[in-house]
Amino acid sequence: MTSSLHSGDPLVVVDEVQLTLGSPAGPVNILRGISLEIAAGETVSLVGPSGSGKSSLMMVLGGLERPTAGRVRVDGHDLGHLGEDGLARLRRRAVGIVFQAFHLIPTMTALENVALPLELGGHRDAFAAAAQGLDAVGLGHRLDHYPAQLSGGEQQRVAIARAFIGRPMLLLADEPTGNLDGATGSLVIDCLFEQRARHGTALLLITHDQSLAERCERQIRLADGRIIDDRRTAPLRLGAARRAR
Amino acid sequence: MTPSAAWLYPFRLAHRELRGGLGGLRVFVACVVLGVAAIAGIGSLAASLAAGIAGDARALLGGDVEARLAYRPADPAEHALLARSGALSEITQLRAMARTPDGKRQSLIELKAVDAAYPLYGRVVLSQLQDLGAALGPRNGVFGALVAPAILDRLGVKLGETIKVGEAALQVRGTIVREPDAALSGLILGPRVIIAAAALPETRLIQPGALVSYDYRLRLAAGPDAASWIAAARAAFPRAGWQLRSFADAARPLQGLIGRLAQFLSLVGLTALLVGGVGIGNAVRGHIAAKTTTIATLKCLGGSTRLVFAVYLIELLALALLGIGAGAALGALLPLAVRPFLAGMLPASARLGLYQAPLAVAALYGLLTVLVFSLWPLAAIGRIPAGALFRDLVDRRRWPVPLAAATMTAALTAALAALVIATAQDRALAWWFVAGAIGAFVIFRAAGAAVVAGAGKLGRPRRPLLRLALANLYRPGAPTAQIMLSLGIGLTVMVAVALVEGNLAREIGGRLPAEAPAFFFIDIQPDQLAGFEEIVRGTLGARFDEVPMMRGRITRLNGVPVEQAAVMPDARWALRSDRGLTYAAGLPAGSRLVAGTWWSPDYHGLPLVSFDAGLAHGMGLKVGDSLTVNLLGREITARIANLRAIDWRRLGINFALVFAPGTLEGAPQTHLAAVYLPHAQQEALVRRVTGRFPNVSAIPVREALQAVGRVVGLIGAAVRLTALVALAAGALVLGGAIAASHRRRVYDAVVLKVLGATRRAILAGFLIEYGLLGLLAALIAGTLGSVAAVFVVVRLLRIDWVFLPGPLLATLGLAMLLTLGLGLAGTWRALGAKAAPYLRND
Repeated sequence: MTSSLHSGDPLVVVDEVQLTLGSPAGPVNILRGISLEIAAGETVSLVGPSGSGKSSLMMVLGGLERPTAGRVRVDGHDLGHLGEDGLARLRRRAVGIVFQAFHLIPTMTALENVALPLELGGHRDAFAAAAQGLDAVGLGHRLDHYPAQLSGGEQQRVAIARAFIGRPMLLLADEPTGNLDGATGSLVIDCLFEQRARHGTALLLITHDQSLAERCERQIRLADGRIIDDRRTAPLRLGAARRAR
Repeated sequence: MTPSAAWLYPFRLAHRELRGGLGGLRVFVACVVLGVAAIAGIGSLAASLAAGIAGDARALLGGDVEARLAYRPADPAEHALLARSGALSEITQLRAMARTPDGKRQSLIELKAVDAAYPLYGRVVLSQLQDLGAALGPRNGVFGALVAPAILDRLGVKLGETIKVGEAALQVRGTIVREPDAALSGLILGPRVIIAAAALPETRLIQPGALVSYDYRLRLAAGPDAASWIAAARAAFPRAGWQLRSFADAARPLQGLIGRLAQFLSLVGLTALLVGGVGIGNAVRGHIAAKTTTIATLKCLGGSTRLVFAVYLIELLALALLGIGAGAALGALLPLAVRPFLAGMLPASARLGLYQAPLAVAALYGLLTVLVFSLWPLAAIGRIPAGALFRDLVDRRRWPVPLAAATMTAALTAALAALVIATAQDRALAWWFVAGAIGAFVIFRAAGAAVVAGAGKLGRPRRPLLRLALANLYRPGAPTAQIMLSLGIGLTVMVAVALVEGNLAREIGGRLPAEAPAFFFIDIQPDQLAGFEEIVRGTLGARFDEVPMMRGRITRLNGVPVEQAAVMPDARWALRSDRGLTYAAGLPAGSRLVAGTWWSPDYHGLPLVSFDAGLAHGMGLKVGDSLTVNLLGREITARIANLRAIDWRRLGINFALVFAPGTLEGAPQTHLAAVYLPHAQQEALVRRVTGRFPNVSAIPVREALQAVGRVVGLIGAAVRLTALVALAAGALVLGGAIAASHRRRVYDAVVLKVLGATRRAILAGFLIEYGLLGLLAALIAGTLGSVAAVFVVVRLLRIDWVFLPGPLLATLGLAMLLTLGLGLAGTWRALGAKAAPYLRND
């Protein structure tokens, strides 16, 4: 699977997306007609109260949840046209995801966790690249440690290295510092922005932290499944992104 | 809280806990149900059969008592005693040949000539409703014959047509559906033919020395009971040489056989319960792990470890009782379910009813097994601190098991072993089982640990999914060792049973062409020997061995009546009825002298006898001791000159008792010939011999062995079926482990999908894991099962061991099918699971 993106096209296009999930109390409307675009290399923060639909929107963009209505295009591919395995291949190539709970595979070392996406893609130099990636997040000395042997901050940095190893076009980060203390959290965020800048990756960052949200060029506010505010906080630096790629 | 309320409190808490549903304890209940049902079922079936035999014992024997004489009918004095003791029925039994009138087709038959009083008990069921006496009586001067259905096929005759038995022509008037006294008639080599006693002289089969059994059955008149009558008869005619049996005596060997088979099957059933025990332990371990928060909360709120332990023990015991009840109920229904299948195979029908003893034993087995396997994991409750609520405790230290739990587990294991031994009919077998079970658990536990360690040492393969598969085998808390244990034991039993059965079948069927004779010809009269020899020598490629033969009963050992002599159980059979005997100048082929010396070929002196070394050992006899044999009412006491080790597997002629020349030559006798000849000549030879000598019978060795083989096959099928229950228990444990790891597998699958793995790749990884598990379990089970089979085949059955790859490969295939099948079923759902719920932040 290759990129179908034409020059000047936005990297992500979300068009009137709705998501309704069943619950014991009846259907719940999570997303109620979301439309937005994210340009390549753009950094966007997604803020809003709990239950406003932030994580659900991120899941939809990552192809981990299918919308009830509407269309989503990522890197030129309509997600609705892709099957389960097609979505997996798209993520392998173009989308990196960082979760609040890290989601590392407990039976694999840090190096193996990071190498995994490249290995799945059949890259021969997966381990060399993974070692570099871990070195870049300051964990070059922790290659053979298992997740249980790492601190929370270290685990999240492994997750960041893993998310960037495939040089994705888009990084989705769901409250990456939510499980970490303040100092560790800012270390991890610095690491994340540094990696993003190095690879020129577009970033969609879900956060409750307003100061963190303001480090992004654009801020989208969700409430009750709708976008209630979408404003630019810094000029778009598309050039940097493209140059990096 | 009042003392009674304090006592009840753990029960109330346990009740509240149970309201949450069974959760992971479903496997716990299933393992208990399966194991208890197997043991209760086998026990109930055995009890109902034993009751059936006891109830039908008179019909099985055909009377309250039976006096059986070989070669000769009762003399007038003996007959007078019989006749005045009650209602008397006289039956004559012998082997003979039935032929078509043109002599073209013939078959060995078990001929039974009955009088009008037959049967004293029970009833002969015929395919066509007719009176037995009328069916057998003369019509237009021709007597009737009732035949087993096989005769119609073998001779190609229909009802109403004529067959010849000896020199008599008989009209086939019906086929026998059920013969009440068939089971105790002795070894049945041919189909049954019943004729009227009045028709027997016409056959001219009763010749001097012919192998004829005269059976006198009595329905005793009111007065002495069966045992007293027998004692009186024995005292009245001490030298009659008759075999006297009461209905209870006669039923005993059959009940013993069923008892032994039931014990063997019960042990296999117990194996299923023990294998299920592993699943029980796993389920309890998983349950306690899942209840960490609840346990920590109870402790936070002031609950003592003892209280919490009591709560979960009560909960488990309640579920165990539920499982035991369901298992016992299923077991109690087994006789009802299998009765139709057994109807044709067994002489007596199962007597349905609720047999409490086997159900109680099964319940006790179930309860002890639950406790043995539950206490150890339950002890983990003591290690869960109240602080587990506030810290995400992942305690990976290996804690020593508390002494109290270890001691209790050891005591309960000993109680379980004691129960196995106490309820066993064959204590030695029970001891072997206990030792074997403990050995198997130790070996498989060690093998499981070795596999876990080995998988860890294999390094880190470059292929990520292979790496994941290997890691899943040795990650902390992986159930690899338990799965190896449970699946491995079930598979070991399957392999051992299949290999033993295969070797036995090969021994019975496979060795035949090379070494065994094609036929034994019996009842050759001395004056027919020359003619018989002429026929055999005139047949291309035929040769024969021949010996004089008579039958007699061993009545005294060193002068002590056999009823009072101390004889080991494995030698008693030789004293129950008549034995064949012969005399010879030289050492018979297939024998090896192990004690004493062989007499000179021209020996003439006091009676000497050569005896089977194994039987002599069982009867406590040695060279120089004396043995008394009753031959046609005459007692002959001979000194044991030597002992022989006899290779019965050659299937040539051999006798346990061989007399020196000079003693038996004058006794009425016939000749027994073993004929070796190519298959193509067989039918023609039998036709020529029986055509010329209608009184001579041909016993086809292959068919006789096939009859034995069928019995072995039936027993093998029963054992295999029960072993399958053990394997099913192993599958349950595997299924339970897969279910327990379901959440982790879904998580692995979801994270792998997030990282771009396709479903095919993820599935391949899971299948590698299960394939490896199945392969390793099968390899170890194959090795252990083969070792067990070698032991049984070489040491217990004393036959040659041949490695048979077929059963091994079948087991390997079964193991792979089972693990891959269950693994696939378990992971399929994991593959299809939606990612989002697992990835959302709590």
